[in-house]
Amino acid sequence: MIIFSLLACASPALAADVTVEVRTQSGAPAREAVVSLYPAGRPVPVAPPGKTYEIAQQNIQFSPFVLVVPVGANVAFPNYDKVRHHVYSFSPAKRFELKLYAREQNRTVHFDRPGPVPLGCNIHDNMSAFILVADTGLSAKTGADGRVSFADVPAGPVVVRVWHPYLRAPDNAVEVRWAVASAHPILQVKVALRPPPPAAPAY
Amino acid sequence: MFRRIRTRLAVLYAGLFAAALCLVAASLYFVLGATVERQVRSELVASSTVFDRIWKVRAHELGSAAAVLARDFGFRAAIATGDRRTAESALDNLKRRLGLDVAFIVGTDGRVTGIADPRLAADAARLWPALDQGETRGVATLGGVPRQLVAAPVMAPALTGWVVFASDLDQRQMRGLESLSAIPISASVLPAGRVADPAIRAGVPGRLSTPDGMAIALARPLQAFGGGDGAVLLLRYPMARAMAAYLPLQIATALTGLLGLILVIGGSWRLSLSITRPISALDLAARRMEQGESVAVEVATDDEIGRLARSFNAMAAGIAERERRITELAFNDSLTGLPNRAFFRRHLDIELRQAAHRGRSLVLLSLDLDNFKAINDTLGHPTGDALLREVAARLKTAVGEALVARLGGDEFTVVAAPERGDGGAERTAQRLMGAFAEPFRIDGHELAVAASIGIAVAPHDGADSDTLLKNADLALYRAKEAGRGTYRFFEARMNAEAQARRILETDLRRALGAGELELHFQPLVALETGRIASFEALLRWNHPTRGLVPPLEFIPVAEETGLIVPIGAWVIQEACRHARDWPSDVRVAVNVSSVQFRRSAVGTAVVQALAATGLAPDRLELEITESIFLETSDATLSALHGLREMGVRIALDDFGTGYSSLSYLQSFPFDKIKIDRSFVDRLETGEGAGAIVQAITALAAALGMETTAEGIETEAQRDAVRRLGCGLGQGYLFSRPVDAVRARALLESACAISRAA
Repeated sequence: MIIFSLLACASPALAADVTVEVRTQSGAPAREAVVSLYPAGRPVPVAPPGKTYEIAQQNIQFSPFVLVVPVGANVAFPNYDKVRHHVYSFSPAKRFELKLYAREQNRTVHFDRPGPVPLGCNIHDNMSAFILVADTGLSAKTGADGRVSFADVPAGPVVVRVWHPYLRAPDNAVEVRWAVASAHPILQVKVALRPPPPAAPAY
Repeated sequence: MFRRIRTRLAVLYAGLFAAALCLVAASLYFVLGATVERQVRSELVASSTVFDRIWKVRAHELGSAAAVLARDFGFRAAIATGDRRTAESALDNLKRRLGLDVAFIVGTDGRVTGIADPRLAADAARLWPALDQGETRGVATLGGVPRQLVAAPVMAPALTGWVVFASDLDQRQMRGLESLSAIPISASVLPAGRVADPAIRAGVPGRLSTPDGMAIALARPLQAFGGGDGAVLLLRYPMARAMAAYLPLQIATALTGLLGLILVIGGSWRLSLSITRPISALDLAARRMEQGESVAVEVATDDEIGRLARSFNAMAAGIAERERRITELAFNDSLTGLPNRAFFRRHLDIELRQAAHRGRSLVLLSLDLDNFKAINDTLGHPTGDALLREVAARLKTAVGEALVARLGGDEFTVVAAPERGDGGAERTAQRLMGAFAEPFRIDGHELAVAASIGIAVAPHDGADSDTLLKNADLALYRAKEAGRGTYRFFEARMNAEAQARRILETDLRRALGAGELELHFQPLVALETGRIASFEALLRWNHPTRGLVPPLEFIPVAEETGLIVPIGAWVIQEACRHARDWPSDVRVAVNVSSVQFRRSAVGTAVVQALAATGLAPDRLELEITESIFLETSDATLSALHGLREMGVRIALDDFGTGYSSLSYLQSFPFDKIKIDRSFVDRLETGEGAGAIVQAITALAAALGMETTAEGIETEAQRDAVRRLGCGLGQGYLFSRPVDAVRARALLESACAISRAA
């Protein structure tokens, strides 16, 4: 999903399509990791939000598990379950609470500050999802193969930031400095992931 | 070691029992110890599983609480929004509710919330890696105190940190655990390294030395929070406390043992007493017997000791009986049953001391039968003994209370305590004389026996028994001299006479060697022819200071002292020497006393004298008196026969006096009979004398014996005896005794005498 505009690029001729591959310490592809690129250490301006993002509550689960949205995006929280949910987040990026809304009720929340927003349901502890409000236009999450690709990334030095809800690092993120030179460069980043929290509390 | 058997027995039994008791006590202690230890071990294992469960329940409880808190929306909101104050107050609230010591939050960024103490906070911050690794429970040291930790992640909704509850594993906590245990276990949490014994650390109960003594211990490893050695829960059960349960049993055993010991000591004491009491009694009795007491022990039982006691009694009785008999023999005269000399001496000593002590006098009477020898010889010893027994009986009756003793032979003595001075002594003597008033009838003989008595009175006549007895004897001697059948008191004069006799004796010993003795001769004249037929040798002692000592004075002394033997020998020798120079038809006559015969000195002296002088044996005539037959034995008689066979003539001197008996004439073939001068004296006055002399001469003629009349002083007497049949005469009419020179002169003037006849 390309959401970045190239308008800001000073020399489009010097751009490349880059791929970042995130793998765990054991070498397994790490999915649902959010990779953000900061060419020359600076964020790429994000396009104005043109659409409404959505995290659905279905089968007493959030879907998707990780959602990347640009700053200023609106995210809807449609409830497709027969039960009520109480979606909340205490994140510094966005603190909100959608108290006990029922099926087919749709609530939209505006995210105007960058940062991870963990989501939970106060009724169902097992429900967990994350919204990463990205402050750079080059920001996307890995697929099942652990890869994510970006087109037209300006050549030169770039800071690659990898975030994952379970990444074992402060703020759940690591940053890698990289020089984009070739036409289709691939950056492999290894991260240590925590095991996901248990589905049901042990206590 | 122990001088008494009963102590030894009691100690032995008590010692054995005590040893056995100690063995029982030791076995009991070890068996008890092993049992208790086994019991404690199994209880420890059981308790440790209980503790495990308690531990887990506690952890679960805390974990639940932590989880609930971690899920609490408000709490999560407070944490997520950084509302520390709200979060801390929530922690405090929960701490109070759950009785927690420490509760805090560790953020995913490592920040610690809820702890004021910086040291504690630093310890808490170090938990982060473990928390991050997902550790939720275990033991960790916070602020130097081992604590049970339980952590719960705070999902807000993503993991923002961990709620950590820490429960102190302090004494209070441990006591709580202990109170849940079935047995009084002491529990403590220690770093695992502090338990040295690997077996105990591995969870096997074992012995552990503690400051409070030996204990059975079991360690349960406690999971460490975040790895490391961790800690152990050490469960201890002090042996002392385990054994305490058996203390009553031990005390009971000890008391029973003590009681048993006392019973054994008492019992063995009693038993040994029952054994040793009779032995002690025997011991005591033996010692009393040793001291001369008469003893008998009680025979209480029929066992060996009883038999021993019986034997002992028999032995003691035997000893007493023998002792009595020995005493009797020692102090009694077996013939008369009277006390003997030994007893008398002891009795006299005692009586003298008592009399001296009381200031009283004591009378000692020495009694001697007159002529007892004659009775013994003529009637035989059995008769003599019977007489002595009868005399003893009469004396005892006569004196009553006083002591009568027989000193030997016919000597008796009486010790009497007179009531009123010497008068009493005299009465006693008279009573004793009275005992002889009636004749004694012995074996059909009627014997008139008299006694002489000498009396000495203590302390006047002697304070000691020797002096008193000697003086009584002196008095007796005097009584005898005074003519028998009477009594004499001791007088100091008697003592002086005795002294004089001793001096005489000393002088007499000297006299023989000093030539003070001399023989005088008195002729015996044939009445028909007027010729001197023989001379009778008569001994004279010319004492250098006292002059001529009469023979009557010194001959008894010589006889008593035995000096008569050398003197007698000298006389025979001297007489023979003189006779050798006389005409061969003139004999010499020598007086020989019974003492000389008793000492068997006559034969030897005669043989030596005849050999030395060469005198014909028939010229020697030995004159003996009748008394020789009273006092001498068969040996004397055979000696006389021997002499006569040798050819020596034997004449019977002084015939007709004293106990003259015709049986003497029959018992020995005398050559000559010398008729006593008393008959010659009475020839002119008494009618009977002539008849007796005539009878004697007739008898002598019939027996082939010569006769000599002694003591012829007048011609009428000479004519009378010649007419009555006497062959020879001796007396002043013919010549007084003269010395040897004059004797020769007499022989030479024999014609003159013849003429005178």
